[in-house]
Amino acid sequence: MSAGAPRPGFLARLNPLAKIAGPLPAMAAVIFTRDLFVPSALLLASLVLILVGARLRAWVVLALIVGTPVVIALLALSFGVWTDPARIDPDAPGATVVLAEVGDWRFTGAAFLIGLAAALRIVAVVMLSLIAGLSTTGPELVRALVQNLRVPYRIGYTALAALRFVPRFGHELEVIRAAHRVRGVEHGRGPIAWVRRTLGLAIPLLASAIRHAERVALAMDARAFGAHPTRTERIISRWRVADAVFVVLCWAGLVAVLLAG
Amino acid sequence: MTSAEPSVPPLVALDDVRITYEGAGAPTPDGITLDVHPGEVVLVLGPSGCGKSTLTLALNGLVPHDVPARIEGTVRVAGLDTSERPVGVLSSHVAMVFQDPDAQVVTGRVLDEVAFGPENQLVPAGEVLARAERALKLVGLWERRDDDPDRLSGGGRQRLAIACALAMASPVLVLDEPTANLDPAGIDEVYAVLRELAAERDHAIVLVEHNLDAAVDLVDRVVVLDRAGRLVADGPADELLRSRADELAELGVWLPVSTLAAMRLRDAGVVLDPLPLTPAELAAALDARAELPPPAEEHDRAPAPAPASATTPAVRVRGLSVRRGGRRGPVVVHDVDLDVPPGDFLAIVGANGAGKTSLLQAIAGVLPAPTGTVDVLGLDPARADARERSRRIGFVFQNPEHQFLAASVAEELDVGLRGHSLTAAERHEVVERMLRRFGLDALRAQHPFLLSGGQKRRLSVGTALVAGAPVLALDEPTFGQDRERAAELLDMLRSVNDEGTTVIVVTHDLQLVADHATRTAVMADGRLLGVGPTAEVLAGPLIDQAGLRHPPLARATRGLARHPAWHGVTRLAQLPRGRADA
Repeated sequence: MSAGAPRPGFLARLNPLAKIAGPLPAMAAVIFTRDLFVPSALLLASLVLILVGARLRAWVVLALIVGTPVVIALLALSFGVWTDPARIDPDAPGATVVLAEVGDWRFTGAAFLIGLAAALRIVAVVMLSLIAGLSTTGPELVRALVQNLRVPYRIGYTALAALRFVPRFGHELEVIRAAHRVRGVEHGRGPIAWVRRTLGLAIPLLASAIRHAERVALAMDARAFGAHPTRTERIISRWRVADAVFVVLCWAGLVAVLLAG
Repeated sequence: MTSAEPSVPPLVALDDVRITYEGAGAPTPDGITLDVHPGEVVLVLGPSGCGKSTLTLALNGLVPHDVPARIEGTVRVAGLDTSERPVGVLSSHVAMVFQDPDAQVVTGRVLDEVAFGPENQLVPAGEVLARAERALKLVGLWERRDDDPDRLSGGGRQRLAIACALAMASPVLVLDEPTANLDPAGIDEVYAVLRELAAERDHAIVLVEHNLDAAVDLVDRVVVLDRAGRLVADGPADELLRSRADELAELGVWLPVSTLAAMRLRDAGVVLDPLPLTPAELAAALDARAELPPPAEEHDRAPAPAPASATTPAVRVRGLSVRRGGRRGPVVVHDVDLDVPPGDFLAIVGANGAGKTSLLQAIAGVLPAPTGTVDVLGLDPARADARERSRRIGFVFQNPEHQFLAASVAEELDVGLRGHSLTAAERHEVVERMLRRFGLDALRAQHPFLLSGGQKRRLSVGTALVAGAPVLALDEPTFGQDRERAAELLDMLRSVNDEGTTVIVVTHDLQLVADHATRTAVMADGRLLGVGPTAEVLAGPLIDQAGLRHPPLARATRGLARHPAWHGVTRLAQLPRGRADA
């Protein structure tokens, strides 16, 4: 969810549901592919789509352009190292190319390629979800779900209210941590101590979360939330021709990539 | 019983209402009969636990529909029985503002927030916007309609909550302690809005408020509940507060400070008739007298700490600057020098964001301070380990629950003794002593989270002192509490202080400061403007310089034309005393 006022750019003007429905089959396809071409093509296509279609802050653009290859390289290396050499087909490309060697363990080109394929698939799924993620605000999504998909508004708007709890809990957790430090209690090290420490933080956090949720619920009810089966929508979320075109283009692009791959 | 025309039907009519919470023995409130008429401003008073808040929840049907409680008798809103109608329907007749401004925000934008209620009422979109605009303009937030509510101050968020209630277009507005979580500036903002609403007479207002000094000049009618939740008085505000002040004080109802001052003067033979309700009335009544007895010498207080040169200070701060959020964070405390002698009761006051909490946290080692800038009894708290520190200074956070670690009260105290090289028998003895000292003996096996608010607070002070710390630091200990609990806490701090503990407290409640602190430090914009004996500080220019408002008694006395000797009178204890308690 991107914060602040809706930014210009054609992605932001699309219905959030279109931005989810378009890339969704591609995400499914990426999960079931094993080659390098399909995820690479979809990853690149969605990156271009985001950069062209969403007006982003400079640091987001930088993170996308620089961060994507770095993350792919890191993931590819770690997955490659974890690949069981016994399960690599000796005829696979690169199986004889040794990139690194420790004792009788060999990191081969084939292992790296397997890791790269896994890395590309993960990053491609993330990039496809960012098409909607970087161009949609929470309220927009809720409006589309409620108005176009007929999700009950009680669920949609309650979820939106609950989202506001998250930063509050983050801050509260910090205060509780400081308070516990002041008590001069250390549970020691190791996993058992970690569990005890976490439980010690969870109880006050939960107690205050429940109290806060009750108060918010009372305040919402006092303002007629849920009084009627529907509520006034000041902003209408429309499903336009452009949305259908976007979805069809996405699907057509996917078919083209699959055929080419 | 009320001044309204008998022909106008009441907006809200309560008939013999009793509300029993699930699991509670007796109903509170108990047998309330009361009508609210158009344009009336009704103040509901009563001691803690008398069911005032519960009563407000019954006015729009949250009791019994949302809150598990049994209701007897009938509550009618615009003629509708609340037990038969859902809250959603009743909310277009009665709008609510709650105590906690943070727990009323649903959306991420001020305008959307105000629109939320009317949207739920299925009001057409154009009318929603018109209502939102009107409401936001009335509370002065129209310019900020595109902001995230989180970016408003506490007072701003509470004004937003009032705008949200106004946008419901209900003829009745119910406010349950709307200023309990606000600093003085926020309280003023909210009351400026309420005063305007009260003057317009478009709404009936039902107000629960402990801070009578802020509320007294805008209410028409006062309804008083006793400790058991029974209706004991209902009548015009002025007349009732003036004629039955003693009875109300006896009930545990907090009266305006000016009235309390006049009652104390009466005991000393200075009879002000009628009793004043506001600082202005008190000032006028005092100036109307040709002569006044001299203010009392304060000999009941702990002996003033010896001059700083004679003793080593308990806390010594030199050139302290503090940044929030790491090395790049903003500087929140600038170059502060401060000495706190042993046995002192020091209050640190200042407007929001003045850096008082950061200063206190740096003193107690909660925030890291640069090496050598803070010394607590020979220890640098930022560099000592937690055990070592807990033997010198105890810190109490605003919410006591944040500090609880154990599953029972006794264990909670014991936790603080771990690793202090004591035998089991010695530890047991210390825990027993603390349980008795803080009146928690009977509750030793109780889970700390199941204690009442006041008990939690006592336990948190106990845990801060259990390791033998001679210095106690408290951050806004009275925030969000009613006056009765706040007074109870201050009395406890007073007695801990009398036993020799140095107490440092950060607060924005200047009348509490005036009545309890020996010395006061004033902060603004991260700097220490000055520190001195409380009476001198409150009578001097620092309070104005820091952008604070003088406490009610000081406001009454500092402008007296005929009695310059009284200009320094800021606390009740300085008033001439009667023979009975001399």
